Amino acid sequence: MTAPDSRLQTPRLKVFRWRAVGPLLALLVIVAILWLVFADSIARHESQRVGTQMLGAKVEINDMHLDLPHGKVSIHGLTVASPHEAFRNLLQADELVADVDVVPLTEKKIIINRIAANGLRFGTPRHTDGRVAAGSGDGIAGRVLAETHQWASQFQVPVLQLATGKISIDSLDPRRLATIPAAQALSARADSSRRAWQAAFDTLRLGPSLDSAQATLEKLRTARATDLAALNEARQAIDRLKRARDRVTTLDRNVTQGVAKLKAGVAGLDSTRQRDYAFARSLLKLPSFEPPEIGKALFAPGTIKPFERVLYYVQLARRYMPPGLLPRATTGPKRLRRAGEDVRFPKEHDLPGFLVRSAELSFLLHPTAPQPQRYAGSLSGLTSDPALYGRPTVATASGPELGAGLMLNHLRDIPVDTAGATVGGIRLPAFEVPGVPVRLDPGVATTQLGFTLNGDTVQARFAIRSSNVRWSRDSALTNTTIGDLIWRTVSGIANLDVEARISGELQHPTFAVRSNLDQAISTRLRAVLGEQVAGAEKQMRARVDSLVNDKVGPVRARVNDIQAQAQAQVAQQRGRLDDLQKQLEQRIRDLTGIRLP
Amino acid sequence: MFAIIKLIQSLFGALHSEGTPGQLAAGIVLGSFLGLTPLLNIHNAVIFAALVLLNVSFAGGMLGWALFVPIGFLLDPLFDWIGHRLLLADALRGLWTGLYNTPIIPLTNFNNTVVLGSVVFAIVLAVPLFFATRLGVVRYRATIGERVRRSRFYKGVMASKAYNVYKMFRP
Repeated sequence: MTAPDSRLQTPRLKVFRWRAVGPLLALLVIVAILWLVFADSIARHESQRVGTQMLGAKVEINDMHLDLPHGKVSIHGLTVASPHEAFRNLLQADELVADVDVVPLTEKKIIINRIAANGLRFGTPRHTDGRVAAGSGDGIAGRVLAETHQWASQFQVPVLQLATGKISIDSLDPRRLATIPAAQALSARADSSRRAWQAAFDTLRLGPSLDSAQATLEKLRTARATDLAALNEARQAIDRLKRARDRVTTLDRNVTQGVAKLKAGVAGLDSTRQRDYAFARSLLKLPSFEPPEIGKALFAPGTIKPFERVLYYVQLARRYMPPGLLPRATTGPKRLRRAGEDVRFPKEHDLPGFLVRSAELSFLLHPTAPQPQRYAGSLSGLTSDPALYGRPTVATASGPELGAGLMLNHLRDIPVDTAGATVGGIRLPAFEVPGVPVRLDPGVATTQLGFTLNGDTVQARFAIRSSNVRWSRDSALTNTTIGDLIWRTVSGIANLDVEARISGELQHPTFAVRSNLDQAISTRLRAVLGEQVAGAEKQMRARVDSLVNDKVGPVRARVNDIQAQAQAQVAQQRGRLDDLQKQLEQRIRDLTGIRLP
Repeated sequence: MFAIIKLIQSLFGALHSEGTPGQLAAGIVLGSFLGLTPLLNIHNAVIFAALVLLNVSFAGGMLGWALFVPIGFLLDPLFDWIGHRLLLADALRGLWTGLYNTPIIPLTNFNNTVVLGSVVFAIVLAVPLFFATRLGVVRYRATIGERVRRSRFYKGVMASKAYNVYKMFRP
């Protein structure tokens, strides 16, 4: 038995390249080492990126450490910028320590059993603008920010025009007055009616009937009682006269109706003029004297901001924590290739994609005060899939002069979000009161906020109370009457009580603001500005009259003229018909002694 | 410049290697996965490991990667559309929900429209690409291959030191 020639054998195809196992393992080791070295840094950058994208404001982390074998993640030096204010932070935290479930990480699910947050501070200043969504307008945060800003802008009421104490009058454009085109239209209608009546009168052809009757009458004057042919002709002439008079009566009725319409048109010009007066009055920049309007003008710009901010966070929560279990698409990660969309598929009875079971918060509300006070709070059930977790997100905070609570209930199709807070002992910044030449320093005040968004129905209330307000005067308006008036009105008031309410459908809610200053300012304004307003209104009416009278007067005269002309024409012809008929009947009676019916 | 030289070396190295046309075509198919789909995904680690461990043309893999990267960028809108249609199809919701809630699988980012669309496209393209490439290599070697091998250009390119790197993984 001889061995087969190896050259004639078909070479055996090797499936694996075993010598590459070594380099591949080396590569894996290198990757593992790189992970150990850079995992914290990668996690920190990713957390900053995701946080910034979600919130629409810069999220900065000084240090982050992953201890996955023990399921711990610690963050030191967390700063979250405010999405609304350029140089202010939403919060800062000295330390966050989270207990993380490791196994769900293999499903890309982040389940945090407990977070302990220490050294939280709110509203601290920052050196750079931390807003992201406000600048780019991109992503969910950008869209929500734009929507809430648009929503808040609907409440911007015109400020009181009190700075100079003058009532401004805009120029009156004659083309915007309704009376002038109405007068022109009525004039055209009157001409048209006159032509129509003349045509109708011409078609009556009364001439032949009158001439024939006149001739019959002449003939009858020489006729005897036995001249039956003449008598018959006379009776026929009377019948023709009666029919002609019927036609005249019909025309008369048409003329009467047409004239009545023209008269109504003339009367309509008067009511149109009243509307023009109202329009002209709207051009007067009159300050409103009603207390609710004054409250809104004074405090709406300031009180709408808290509502706008709460709505922003609530709407963000609704986008990131939607009810139900349907697949949800969000923009994919940024990369050189197209980002695409990431679609999440929540599964019943499974873990949500993100969940914070509980968090314990410890924070300072007045970090710069000589003796800052420590507060405590808690948070539970913060999740991306409320339907899976089965309980609403609840947060509370309490401490000296502080009580706050939050509940985001997205378990059912119609989400219900509720937030409330009462914070006392807060020093609010001084601000210029819009439209009024004074500056208000509320001092240490108590603020209350209540906000409920049930589906698309909003009920919200914001209140500020202070008992030691200070007023300072705007020197630029020292010598104006209104400046003096407002200053005298408010400078003696030591208390401030402002309350703003929003209610109704979210897109078109009712907004009301009241304050303890409203009534006082309203009364003073009525007393001082009442005469000025009356004078300005009179001036405006005179302007309207001067523009309108040139058009309305001729039209009124023309209608009267046409009426008189048409009615005279009808009366004249009817008189001739009646006269001839009477003469014919009289002559027949004389001849026969018979009275015609 | 180095990348272009290396690409040319890879191309000629692969075409004139001792590997069979099938090995070269398989390498290019695996490389096309790397080029067509977004690179930093776990499935590409598997593809890369297969390219290294399986007795296919590594040079072909690098060539396929280089060739299909620009095509991947160009076809991203198509991949997005395919992925969108697949991920949001009612009939497949149960499948995706099951996969999404299975350990490890979500790390592949299959739930991203571009990733899923490009992977599906690459899988569909794999079979025709394999046979077309294999046929092309056979025809090349049978016709102009020998003339190219003897040309000065080929000898110049292959004399570069970079060729040594390729030789480590030649089939």
